[in-house]
Amino acid sequence: MTTDHKRIGLLYFWTTLVLFAAGGAEALIMRTQLIQPNNHVVGPATYDELFTMHGITMIFFFIIPMTTGAFGNYLLPLMLGARDMAFPRMNALSYWIFLGSGLFVYTSLFLGMAPNAGWFDYVPLASATYDPSPAIDFYCLGIIFNGISSSLTAANFIVTCFKLRAPGMSFNRMPLFCFAMLAASFGLLFALPSLSVDAIFLFLDRAVGTHFFDVAKGGSVLLWQHLFWFFGHPEVYILIVPAFGIATEIIPAFTQRRIVAFPLVAIAEILVVFIGFGVWAHHMFAVGMPTVTVAFFAAATTIVVIPSTIQVFAWTMTMFVGRPRFRTPLLFICGFVFMFVAGGLTGIMFLAVPVDQQLTDTYFVIAHFHYIIFGAAVFPIFGGMYYWFPKVTGKLYYELPGQISFWIIFVGTNVLFFPMHIVGLIGMPRRNYTYPGGLGWGPYNLVESIGAYITAFGIVVLLVNLVVSYFRGLPAGPDPWHGATLEWTTSSPPPEYNYPVIPKVSSAYPNWDYEDRAEDRRKLAGAVMVLDQGHEQPVSSSIDGWWTEVIEMPHDSPWPLALAVSIALVFVFLVVHKWVVAGFAASGLAIALLGWHAREPQEHE
Amino acid sequence: MSDYVAGGVPERLVPRTTAARGVPQVVAVVPRRRQPSIALWGMTMFLVSEGMLLASMIASYYYLRFVNHAWPQPGDPRPKVVVPLILVGVLATTSLPMQLAAFAARAGRLTATRLLLLWALVVQSGYLAYEVHDYVGQLHADPVQHDTYTSIYFTLLGADHGHVALGLLFDVWLLGKLARGLTMYRLNALQAIVYYWHAINLLTLVITGVLLSATF
Repeated sequence: MTTDHKRIGLLYFWTTLVLFAAGGAEALIMRTQLIQPNNHVVGPATYDELFTMHGITMIFFFIIPMTTGAFGNYLLPLMLGARDMAFPRMNALSYWIFLGSGLFVYTSLFLGMAPNAGWFDYVPLASATYDPSPAIDFYCLGIIFNGISSSLTAANFIVTCFKLRAPGMSFNRMPLFCFAMLAASFGLLFALPSLSVDAIFLFLDRAVGTHFFDVAKGGSVLLWQHLFWFFGHPEVYILIVPAFGIATEIIPAFTQRRIVAFPLVAIAEILVVFIGFGVWAHHMFAVGMPTVTVAFFAAATTIVVIPSTIQVFAWTMTMFVGRPRFRTPLLFICGFVFMFVAGGLTGIMFLAVPVDQQLTDTYFVIAHFHYIIFGAAVFPIFGGMYYWFPKVTGKLYYELPGQISFWIIFVGTNVLFFPMHIVGLIGMPRRNYTYPGGLGWGPYNLVESIGAYITAFGIVVLLVNLVVSYFRGLPAGPDPWHGATLEWTTSSPPPEYNYPVIPKVSSAYPNWDYEDRAEDRRKLAGAVMVLDQGHEQPVSSSIDGWWTEVIEMPHDSPWPLALAVSIALVFVFLVVHKWVVAGFAASGLAIALLGWHAREPQEHE
Repeated sequence: MSDYVAGGVPERLVPRTTAARGVPQVVAVVPRRRQPSIALWGMTMFLVSEGMLLASMIASYYYLRFVNHAWPQPGDPRPKVVVPLILVGVLATTSLPMQLAAFAARAGRLTATRLLLLWALVVQSGYLAYEVHDYVGQLHADPVQHDTYTSIYFTLLGADHGHVALGLLFDVWLLGKLARGLTMYRLNALQAIVYYWHAINLLTLVITGVLLSATF
């Protein structure tokens, strides 16, 4: 089983794409249901499952694994000049656990027991009293299961960023994409445990009979919300900061200009996640918190505007002072900036507490966060898919269909989400499976549903274009865009261990440092710094990026898969409340770990 | 080989650490590695994640305490003070043999390393055995299903015991590995596990303090 970060990145890519299709299909069914008043395409119970699964899928099984798992895995070591992740086998384990958690959660759908209390799963609605089916157990255990994967990925990314940079890549020369991945990884590592604890408490309440959320026994339903949003708000930045990173790589490549205010953008990427930890209760303005608490969180939330604005300024100014070539990736980034600013402006409206309280649980909220999540996270993903397509496949994509796909998606997205602002302002509540006629909501919903179909069509055009380009596209060569970062210095697709010669770095734009690249070629010709069969990896000092040791990389291994299967079995037996059998399955976990460590990396020689 | 210089050290002199097998090679390589191993970085990440997990539970404990007028809730016994404090003190002392084991391994004294690890393992096992016995006894007297206080009390304490149990498994595995001699891989593992125990001992002190705070 592979431990190559590029193959694992591609595994993530294809898996998340399938799950994206599932989440998209759920959205289309919902939009079809809402296309007219009093519609009955699906009933209320199915609709509850649809919006819950749509939210869970898009957040936990598409955006996070696509940005970190697919883009991060494939690109991070390449951009750092490393040969793999710091922990390649753990990287493989992350993927297999991710796959297992996806299968686990979607199995519930096919069993007719899909989670149905919203992706935020508020109690008491999600308590055993009101939802005694295993649906919520699937949610709790699925979230914990998936969280293990994300935590492992985050830990791997952080250590890779600090310890596996190419010689000369001091911290201030690390690409902004890597800064974004680092920030998101710190966010995941610190935020996910809070969600896991929440899910553990709820599972214990339901399965064991504890009383964390049972008010009659001294529990608190707001504890769920505090723990959930302590994860949930940083989560928003965890979703969009990697997308910021994609934007900060695409813009310099298509303007042929260094990004404006590089250090400030790097700091802003970190700060936006850091500040994100201090604003969680702004999701709870309607629950009746003390006024001073509400005022504090409203004020704290305004601070997030600062790092966000720094980045928007840097992106737009770089395009303004550079010579932009509006190829498909840059178009998607322009669309992203537009959507992010629009979504940000409606976000600011929520800081006015009375407005927030009025709009809570209306379609205005849906409009706001889809402008952010779809516009600011998914648009850069699409842009990144086009931008790195030549690197991953060695082929050029077709430009005209690419641009057409952008415009269809851009128009479709705005037709889909903009009317939701209006229909929310005139009072349409979210999460209702249908609505009566005569309230003025029907025409807006019709337009939104048409927008959903247009968006879906645009995504199909995008995917078909990439598939056709893969089979018929012209050879791309190593550097079709004259990109700034190291991945463009190696062949397309890159060889197994990325760089036959470990590159030297003198700036944050190493591919534009021609002397360094010429030196790489001289070293390769002279067989200098060609480490042993590509299985050696230099480890660098955490700040300056100079070598401190050379380690041997682990080889391919079946044990990550074995361990993931063991973990999956534990969760399967937990969901059916077979505690003893789950314990036995956990012993399989220990056996897999022993097998994992039985042979040390140097023993493969 | 080239004279390519990386941070003042020619590339050919940068140590191939994981290639070191046997005590003499490991002892020779260790001083040349100028920064902590990536194993130690990995363990730090794990501890950050686990630390946040326990911190979330501790925050929940105080949140639930502040929404209840009486804590422990009516009908729940106050936690015992003396025995848990003595036990957690005993557990904390195991940081010493663990750290000494790491020093001994770096110096190539393999037998001392094994003995120090064994000493720590015996004490840690004794601690956990008593704590599990006590935990089961308390559960019978005042079940976890009784109210919110018992729910968070047993969950937090159980999570801590789980981490101690994981540390014991680490110890046993490490002793098994060291029985076959010393490699750089095993030294890295030892240092990471020593680090784990320092953190877990500290967390156990904190969690014991949190749980005993209900007596005041």
